[in-house]
Amino acid sequence: MVEIIKQFLFSFMSTIGFSVLFNIPKELIAKTGFVGGIGWIIFYITGQYLNNEIISTFFAALTVGIFGELFARYFKKPATVFIIPGIIPLVPGAGMYYTMLTLSQKDFYAAATKGTETFFIAAAISTGLIISTTLSKSIRRVKNK
Amino acid sequence: MSQFIIHNKGEARKLLLLAILAGRIMLRNGAETYRVEDTIERIIKSRKNIKYADAFVTPTGIFASLEYEEEVLTYLIRIKAIRINLNKINLVNDFSREFVSTNMSIDEGIKKLRMIDNTETYSPLFKSLFGALSCGFLSILFGGSMLDFISSIFVGFFVVLVVNRINRYKLTFFINNFIGAIIATFLSILITVIGIADNMNTVIIASIMPLVPGVAITNAMRDTISGDFVSGLSRAMEAIFSALSIAFGVGLVLNIYLGG
Repeated sequence: MVEIIKQFLFSFMSTIGFSVLFNIPKELIAKTGFVGGIGWIIFYITGQYLNNEIISTFFAALTVGIFGELFARYFKKPATVFIIPGIIPLVPGAGMYYTMLTLSQKDFYAAATKGTETFFIAAAISTGLIISTTLSKSIRRVKNK
Repeated sequence: MSQFIIHNKGEARKLLLLAILAGRIMLRNGAETYRVEDTIERIIKSRKNIKYADAFVTPTGIFASLEYEEEVLTYLIRIKAIRINLNKINLVNDFSREFVSTNMSIDEGIKKLRMIDNTETYSPLFKSLFGALSCGFLSILFGGSMLDFISSIFVGFFVVLVVNRINRYKLTFFINNFIGAIIATFLSILITVIGIADNMNTVIIASIMPLVPGVAITNAMRDTISGDFVSGLSRAMEAIFSALSIAFGVGLVLNIYLGG
């Protein structure tokens, strides 16, 4: 439990850093940090049980998307303001780096494995976002009828 | 709503100009295309005697037209560099809500938009500090030690500062990311060789994070599912090439270091 709180705090802080990089207005910074933190916690917990980075990235991106859309409707702001900094901790920078590292060590087999994994993690982020956005859109459509 | 009317052709032209200006600010600062189209149409249609309004937006240009008294006016503008400033999107979003629901004069609207375009939310130094901080915390998330945390803050600070500075010369995003990745990798190797950082890989990964194309990935997906396939594809291309340029930068320095 202490570990989870720690992880939340660290991801919260790093999302806040990115919110400043992307010029998010002051009153929304803490909220974006919260979205990013929740996303990372989901990534961490599902990672413990499933031991599969692709699936846990998917669930984390889904969570970020859902929270982003909910916050967007509640605070009447564009959803991207919450979603873009929120997914940053999930973006496979590590996978990209290790692909390049193994390539420069001429270990092509490992590079192919890492590269494919990186690609699928990026695809998982996209799929998670697609599902949450589509859900929120169809809910809005049904409500407007 | 919409009992506000346009009086003459000059006003109609100004209205179109205002809508396009709003769209340009949003698009240039990283908004999704469907949101830009939506905003332009909503602004134009808020004035009652405009019969028809439509907008076609791609990440590289905006076309918009309206019909006023049997005459069609069309404007087209080209968008070049895209920088991320989510605050401006947020401000234009608030502005369009206000413009649509009140009888704001068009001149006043244009003045307000120009003010929004010139706002600078945070200073470059402040941004670099926070970017550095987030690099540090990411290095802990990726399993780094306390020493890695400190060195990531140091490296991240310089990466963000330099990339911000290069942005002024209006080079392409490819060169920006390439230089950023080279600096990140070089400084990380240096700091490890000196003996401050424990784990070189963690420091490199954490300090290239400010460069990764998170915005492009997100927007590519959101555009594609809204049916804007042209925009979705071009944003996906942007994401892929940003990732490639970072990988090239990292690979170049690593190759020299490992080979030499």
